[in-house]
Amino acid sequence: MTRIPDKHAQHASQQSLQQAAWAAAAAVPDPEIPVVTIADLGILRSIALDEEGCIVAQVTPTYSGCPATNLIQQMVLEALHEAGFENVRVESVLSPAWTTDWISSEGRKKLRQFGIAPPTETSNSKRALFGETLVTCPHCGSGETERVSEFGSTPCKALYRCLACREPFDYFKCH
Amino acid sequence: MYSQGLIGADGQTHEDAAFLAAFQARIDAEQKIEPNDPMPEGYRKTLVRQISQHAHSEIIGMQPEGNWISRAPSLRRKAALLAKVQDEGGHGLYLYSAAETLGVSREEMTEQLLSGAAKYSSIFNYPALTWADIGAIGWLVDGAAIMNQIVLCRCSYGPYARAMIRICKEESFHQRQGYEIMIALCNGSKEQKELAQDALNRFWWPSLMMFGPPEGDSVHSNQSMIWKIKRFSNDDLRDKFINASVPQAEKLGLTIPDSDLKWNEAKQGYDHGEIDWDEFWRVVKGDGICNRERLKNRRRVDRDGAWVREAAMAHAQKRRARMASARIAAE
Amino acid sequence: MSGTCETIMASNQTLFSYVLRLADDHLILSQRLGEWCGEAPTLEEDLALANIALDLIGQARALYAYAGQVEGKGRNEDQLAFMRYERDYQNLLITEQPNGDFAHTIVRQFFISAYMDPFWRRMESSKDEMLAAIAAKASKEVTYHLRHTSEWVIRLGDGTRESHERMVEALDDLMMFTGELFEMDAVAQEMLQSGVGVDASDLKAEWQHTVQTILQEATLELPKAGHMQTGGRTGRHSEHLGHILSELQYMQRSFPGLTW
Repeated sequence: MTRIPDKHAQHASQQSLQQAAWAAAAAVPDPEIPVVTIADLGILRSIALDEEGCIVAQVTPTYSGCPATNLIQQMVLEALHEAGFENVRVESVLSPAWTTDWISSEGRKKLRQFGIAPPTETSNSKRALFGETLVTCPHCGSGETERVSEFGSTPCKALYRCLACREPFDYFKCH
Repeated sequence: MYSQGLIGADGQTHEDAAFLAAFQARIDAEQKIEPNDPMPEGYRKTLVRQISQHAHSEIIGMQPEGNWISRAPSLRRKAALLAKVQDEGGHGLYLYSAAETLGVSREEMTEQLLSGAAKYSSIFNYPALTWADIGAIGWLVDGAAIMNQIVLCRCSYGPYARAMIRICKEESFHQRQGYEIMIALCNGSKEQKELAQDALNRFWWPSLMMFGPPEGDSVHSNQSMIWKIKRFSNDDLRDKFINASVPQAEKLGLTIPDSDLKWNEAKQGYDHGEIDWDEFWRVVKGDGICNRERLKNRRRVDRDGAWVREAAMAHAQKRRARMASARIAAE
Repeated sequence: MSGTCETIMASNQTLFSYVLRLADDHLILSQRLGEWCGEAPTLEEDLALANIALDLIGQARALYAYAGQVEGKGRNEDQLAFMRYERDYQNLLITEQPNGDFAHTIVRQFFISAYMDPFWRRMESSKDEMLAAIAAKASKEVTYHLRHTSEWVIRLGDGTRESHERMVEALDDLMMFTGELFEMDAVAQEMLQSGVGVDASDLKAEWQHTVQTILQEATLELPKAGHMQTGGRTGRHSEHLGHILSELQYMQRSFPGLTW
């Protein structure tokens, strides 16, 4: 004899399902900076169950032209399959637009340890011409740094150099 | 991407024995050498040559792939290729900055590239003829580069080692994309699969050459090993690459163009056929189909951009002067 | 009943057309910028131009995908981007103009960015949710494009005599294509009235203000508006578009119907 689950139990089991799915998707590493996860970066927006019991993962691109977007969607799908979820869908949401403010403090710490200076809050208006953000060297901690290039190897990063220890390093720009 | 076995390293150095011994002790203790540390002149020169060759390779490497941006077969592939080429430029810039920590300027390095004095990876003197070449370059050329660079992550020079760690992660992403292009071709029509096989046929041997010739008893190479700039021989790395690539080719259903290739149970690796080192040296010395063109392009771009750089400098000077006079006026 | 249906059909067709032309603008411009790859005056600028091109191609992809959805005939982003004939592309003429020297590329990008910046900002409050979402992302990105090109306009205008002269020539050459930016044809009107589209004619004052402020700092002047060349929205292009398409479409035309 099967017991019909009451509404409350159903709700609770839904919640734990969602939590398990979140944990699986959240652990997916960023393809280009694998020391941080897509949850650290704020790219994974939500996990929900739709009416048909399908797990819906919502991800947002960092930049419109980010080449990793397709791969991230595929990786989320694979991670959820591996965690035992069969009925899964990944959706891309554009709004609200991703911002570096969504990078968690854990994510910032990991970036710094990897040698990438995390985004700093800046009072500089994004429209201000010839502006340069002050960035601390992730290697030696000195504030004496200069920008080499507004763009680095990926659109999200700028290249800086430390004037104290001379280390070149990437800065994850505010966006 | 694209470091290749170092060509023409000169490890000669003239410091006294006590200095060299103390330096070697640091190396042997796996301490990283940093820009402000004392170092033998030979060590510094070897690194400058290695890092700048690596940077030049990134810059020249933008050409064969850049050649396909306007013709990429889908928007997704176009965006990925554009991003990849941007990435290479970014790595070049990063590496120039890493070399600058050794007291050489980017202008000097650029001058050496343009004059033809500096070397870059010989693979870029082979043309990217079809779209499948973009897949093969990502799969094989990036694959070979990663093989080289993973060991460089443990190089004794701190800034270079750290640069390699970050660069390797991005390269792996490229390699995956390249292999994915190959998968799409091999799962596609008969003509697509033929394109893939043809690209493999043309890029296989030049990719093996990327590791450089066997060192034998080369003094320079030994010195690089002792200083832990280099940590594996060219042949060892080449073998690792072959062992990794053969199963990947099998998975694609493609044939490696080497009739002598066979599994050697005793060494748990593949034996391969003779590499045409005459071809390698011919291309390194300037007689590949694209050598002249690649350099001519760089020189033309440098010439065409001169007025822009001059204008930027002139403006920056005027700006500084204006700001200075505004300060004086305010005081 | 059938009347209502027809209205919806008609408005879908208009929305399709409206989204498609925006997509074409971004695709053609990114194709042009992509030609700079490895050719820029400095390595830093190579990265910057590639990045702008990447933003544009990303925006184009979102727009094509949406256009395909609106059309409802199962055409995906690639079929729309690659498999149409020359006269079917509806991009603005300025986007297809050749790169010329660096001054021409900068002026072209500056003119367009100074237009797209307020355009996307207004589009953020479109009644069409998808367009509003695309705009929210794009408007952040174009802010940067405008800043970057403004800096170059100032550097080149104020830099040397040569750079100044080249800028004057570029401004003269491209001015005639700016009138088209602010045109409101029937499609744009209908979209404006239904709360989906932006009133492009209303952006002119802001565009002029932005452009003139920067040009002034660059010691340059906006050329007098003479004859304004238009036609992109009806597929009457310059000769340049055909050559762009012959490269863009090469693979899809040579190997029709394959997956890459």
